[in-house]
Amino acid sequence: MIRIVAAAIRSRVVPTILVIIALTTSMALLLTVDRIQQATKKGFNQSLGGVDLVLGPRGSGIELVLYTVFHLGKPTNNITTETLKDIERNPFVEWAIPIALGDSHQGFRVISTIPEYFDRIRFDGDQSLSFSQGRAFQELNDVVIGSAVASELGYQLGSSIFVTHGSESLGRTHDDFAFQISGILNPTGTPTDRAVFVSLEGYELIHLGWKSGSKIVSLDRIDISQIPRERLYPATITAAYLGLTSKLNLFKASRFINEYPEEAVSAVIPGVALAELWSMVGSVDFVFRIFNWLIIGISLIGMVTMTLSSLDSRTRELTILRAVGATPLQLASMVLIETMLVSIISMAMAVGLVRLSTWVAADLLTQWAGVHIELTWISFDEFSVLIIIMLAGLVASLIPATLVYRRSLAQGFLH
Amino acid sequence: MILETSALTYAYRSGKHLRFPDLKIDAGEKVLLIGPSGSGKSSLLNLIAGVLPLQTGSISLKKFQYNQLSPRSLDTIRADHIGVIFQSFNLIPYLSGFENARIGLQFSTQRRARVDRPREVIKRLATQLGLTTDLLDRKPTELSIGQQQRIAAIRALIGQPELVIADEPTSALDPEATTLFMNQLKDSINPQTQAVVVVSHNPSIIPLFDRVIRLDNPQ
Repeated sequence: MIRIVAAAIRSRVVPTILVIIALTTSMALLLTVDRIQQATKKGFNQSLGGVDLVLGPRGSGIELVLYTVFHLGKPTNNITTETLKDIERNPFVEWAIPIALGDSHQGFRVISTIPEYFDRIRFDGDQSLSFSQGRAFQELNDVVIGSAVASELGYQLGSSIFVTHGSESLGRTHDDFAFQISGILNPTGTPTDRAVFVSLEGYELIHLGWKSGSKIVSLDRIDISQIPRERLYPATITAAYLGLTSKLNLFKASRFINEYPEEAVSAVIPGVALAELWSMVGSVDFVFRIFNWLIIGISLIGMVTMTLSSLDSRTRELTILRAVGATPLQLASMVLIETMLVSIISMAMAVGLVRLSTWVAADLLTQWAGVHIELTWISFDEFSVLIIIMLAGLVASLIPATLVYRRSLAQGFLH
Repeated sequence: MILETSALTYAYRSGKHLRFPDLKIDAGEKVLLIGPSGSGKSSLLNLIAGVLPLQTGSISLKKFQYNQLSPRSLDTIRADHIGVIFQSFNLIPYLSGFENARIGLQFSTQRRARVDRPREVIKRLATQLGLTTDLLDRKPTELSIGQQQRIAAIRALIGQPELVIADEPTSALDPEATTLFMNQLKDSINPQTQAVVVVSHNPSIIPLFDRVIRLDNPQ
């Protein structure tokens, strides 16, 4: 019977293909959006572990987390290291990692920080950063690069690189001071993979002789060896990651910082900022999801309409089958099998399309935010969604199937 | 005895009431049911095929009494014991001639059991019916009406159902082709086990049959 059904489908190949395309794309759209959203959330949430608070200039918490952790957007203001030191002295604070942002290298963000960064920052739960080669920076000209920077630019330990002023690749290069790669990090699937790390002092050094974004004096005219290292410690930084002595102090420490009288600073709990971000995105996502389900509904209606409209032209075919002994139930089953086959083919194609679109989206997301999406064929939840769609298709197909059943019972086959 | 009907009548909702003569058809018989349009020829075949529900009277095919059978059982009886040839548009358009012929076995375990090698049997029947076997691979749209009717005849004959019923099977054929087709059909049945009942309004085919039964229900 399957052979007859398959031949019947082949005989209406154009409308069937159109219905399959509609169903496949609508299912794939629903699953892809859902998958990318889930994976993005997971990727973002696992990107910054071990940090209790992000300290930065007063303003939007989401913005602060986006540009400090995910390198998205540009910092608008700095905070003074004086303030950081003062906050660090607070008994709630166990450690602080200052970071200064602004420069880049071949499109990859440069993060200036202290070597402790590599010990304190965690990812994917509680995993530590580790070096595939080399070590953290020690000298002024040492630089540590993420795994993606190394693989995409083909860098090795000891390679020399120059840093570009600003985040644009067309910015002026700090070509009077070469950094040398001292360490390459193992992959993390986080923005760390796409970052270039230098010391705060090294970063300060390359900006000596710069004013308002323009180079006034070249470092070639300065005897760097004569500058004491402590004098290169910057007066301002972009932000700082803070670790607290106890999680119980999270809100007390946060309140203390937000009410800090000497400078307009704020403390953001990364998880809370991200939750706010997801909640903002969530309403758009909800509307999008509704539209997706509507598209799927319309595609299913299209499938049923195609089957219904073909019934009249198939009267003779059904009569012949009835004449050779097919029961009304068998004829109705054939209609059901036909729509089920269309649904199953669409499902299989949707899974393939989801895989393909996720692969493309994963690449884009990694390029954009450094967040890695795990590529899988299909999860249990996604499979459940597909089964629900298939059951909806089955229920919808009962309309033409019932019609065939009733007609077969009511009519003779010779007229 | 293959088929026996008694006191059959059928009333349509429109009020039309049909009475049918009693039939007794033995193996090897070729019977023509003749009558004008509206005389109930097709209704009688529908009743014999078990597609229209029995209202009054009785039908027995071999050992089976229709009034004791469920609609589902009647479908099985039809699949196992009756081959049907329609007036025209006999074939499923998207299947090849061979696949159309083979459908005769699709819903019957008994007929399937009687056929070891369907392809060979279909080829043999095709040859008996004057059809070259290469035509079996063609789709109905690539065949003439006469060729389509022959494939429909193969479908009705394959697996040797006891009763072959045909509703105006030659109406689309010219007189010469009609005679040829009817003779080939008659020659293809097993006279020990099978019988043919043909319905027609064309008196010119009367000489081709052993027995003629006239239906005279008013229009």
